[in-house]
Amino acid sequence: MHVLLGLALGAIYILLAAGLTIVYGLLDVVNFAHGVFYMLGAYAVFLVISLTGSFWIGLASAAIITGLIGALAEVFLLRPLYEKHQLYPLLLTFGFSVAVPDLMKVVFGLIGKTVDYPEALSGFILLGNIPFPKYRLFIIVLTAVVMTSLWLFLKKSDLGMVMRAATLNSRMVEALGIDVSGIWTVGFSIGVGLAALGGAVAAPMVSASPDMGVEITVESFVVVVLGGLGSLAGAVTGGLIIGQVVSFVSLFAGQYSKVAIFIVMFIVLLVRPRGLFGEAGRH
Amino acid sequence: MEDKLENPYSMKNVWAILLVLAPMPLVLSTPLATEILIYAIFAMGFNLALGHTGILSFGHAAYFGLGCYITGMALRYLELGVFPALLLGTVAAGLAALALAALAVKRQGVYFAMISLAFSQMLYFLALSPLKGLTGGEDGLKFIPKLAIEFPVTMDLSRPWSAYWFTLLFFALALFAMRQVLNSPMGRLLPAVRENEARVKSLGFPSHALKIMSMAISGLFCGLAGGLLTVYLGYVPLSTLHWFTSGSIMMMTILGGMQSFSGPIVGVLVFLCLQDVTGNFTERWELFSGTLFMALILLFPQGVAGSIKERFQHRMTPTIPERQA
Repeated sequence: MHVLLGLALGAIYILLAAGLTIVYGLLDVVNFAHGVFYMLGAYAVFLVISLTGSFWIGLASAAIITGLIGALAEVFLLRPLYEKHQLYPLLLTFGFSVAVPDLMKVVFGLIGKTVDYPEALSGFILLGNIPFPKYRLFIIVLTAVVMTSLWLFLKKSDLGMVMRAATLNSRMVEALGIDVSGIWTVGFSIGVGLAALGGAVAAPMVSASPDMGVEITVESFVVVVLGGLGSLAGAVTGGLIIGQVVSFVSLFAGQYSKVAIFIVMFIVLLVRPRGLFGEAGRH
Repeated sequence: MEDKLENPYSMKNVWAILLVLAPMPLVLSTPLATEILIYAIFAMGFNLALGHTGILSFGHAAYFGLGCYITGMALRYLELGVFPALLLGTVAAGLAALALAALAVKRQGVYFAMISLAFSQMLYFLALSPLKGLTGGEDGLKFIPKLAIEFPVTMDLSRPWSAYWFTLLFFALALFAMRQVLNSPMGRLLPAVRENEARVKSLGFPSHALKIMSMAISGLFCGLAGGLLTVYLGYVPLSTLHWFTSGSIMMMTILGGMQSFSGPIVGVLVFLCLQDVTGNFTERWELFSGTLFMALILLFPQGVAGSIKERFQHRMTPTIPERQA
């Protein structure tokens, strides 16, 4: 039971960490605004549901709308900074993560917006003889599907291959006549789209509020660092581990659940400084 | 030995900064002036790591917050005087920075930023709930008694004016101490570590030890700033440990201009005054400051002080050219 609950929690971490790791791997940008996109995803699902009444349309459009916002942010805010030190994009995204939640407070007010569970997924399902919330099971399945398609996209599709090549050597890719800056925009939108999907999926459980992204940004960093910066397999493993840690520590010593995340990270880094799947040669 | 070149860390500059800042309460409100001095110490300490040594730390809230809490707890539970409590807070923060740096010194750049971030968040969550009994959890540490000193003069520090003079004294000490650090042989090596660590190492200097020392000293400054905040506020808000505090001090430092002696101080001054002014007509100053900050990063990546400096560069000492990624 708790393994499954941890798996559902881990699934959301996986979505966030995968987005973060794609953005880092491709653009070399540590996106401090990742949690903001998670929050925007939750608001997008709230808005679209109140317009259309459908959770499914809401879920799909949340990722797409926020992905487009991400594309705009990449073109207008990040692109001018690529030539400079790695510090500048990091600082810019921090400024973004200060300003945007405040903007949301102006637009939507301080109080969170609740999102209802879709009817088909409310209630429990019997696994063996244990009742398990249907919605959590849905999260696990959805993440598995999304991650598999992401993996297939990166490994098998032409665009995915170009993206991986650009991660390794963007100049070479450019020399082959491919528009690398377009690839970066696409990569950034996919990254923040994944964060937004995480937020949209989490919305019925936590309700959309302006500050919901603040803590999750740091936690998704932990997941990524734990797994190894820039590694998709690392993001998945890190997400699974942190999900289980939070789930079990909350069971036995609730107060320590957040602290435990960081302790696990420290232990892993002391034993394996590059993270579990970190490649040699990266920082 | 003094350089023939104009030294940015000369005593002249220390006095100039003091001369400009000391009369602040005549123009600004006294509490705002006190806060500016406190955050200026914090930013100076932070800049020793980021600007001078090139250590990208995103966890300096840990040392600031630790200074706040240890000073506060020493005052409240141990019933120490203000000076010993401040000393305790400062030393505790310095030791924490030393410990973290010793553990993580081999990690570079973004990795170090994330590890230091994780360290500060760990302290934040410890203060939030497992140690709630000691720290007051979400409400912060309240009911700190005895904010008065008797020696060398009797002062009730809960009065704005006395708090200001008390803070100014420590600010002057910190400024002088920072000048000494930067002027010392060790301090002179820090920019070299920032620019080319491999070369520093190959010249036979212990670059890791230099970085650890820089972090520890930086922690001392942040701890002192934190302790002074506790004395000034009379309580410790939990937000002092939050990662947004790390980001804010980074914002202020970059705004003013890193790698410079007065830059962080200018940044704090500009930032807190802006926050005060915008706070008068809107509650949403974060929206304002975040947007402003993004604009500054895009338009003046060298910061306010750095950009002004650049304009008058022919009259100033040569600045270190910006590193390329």
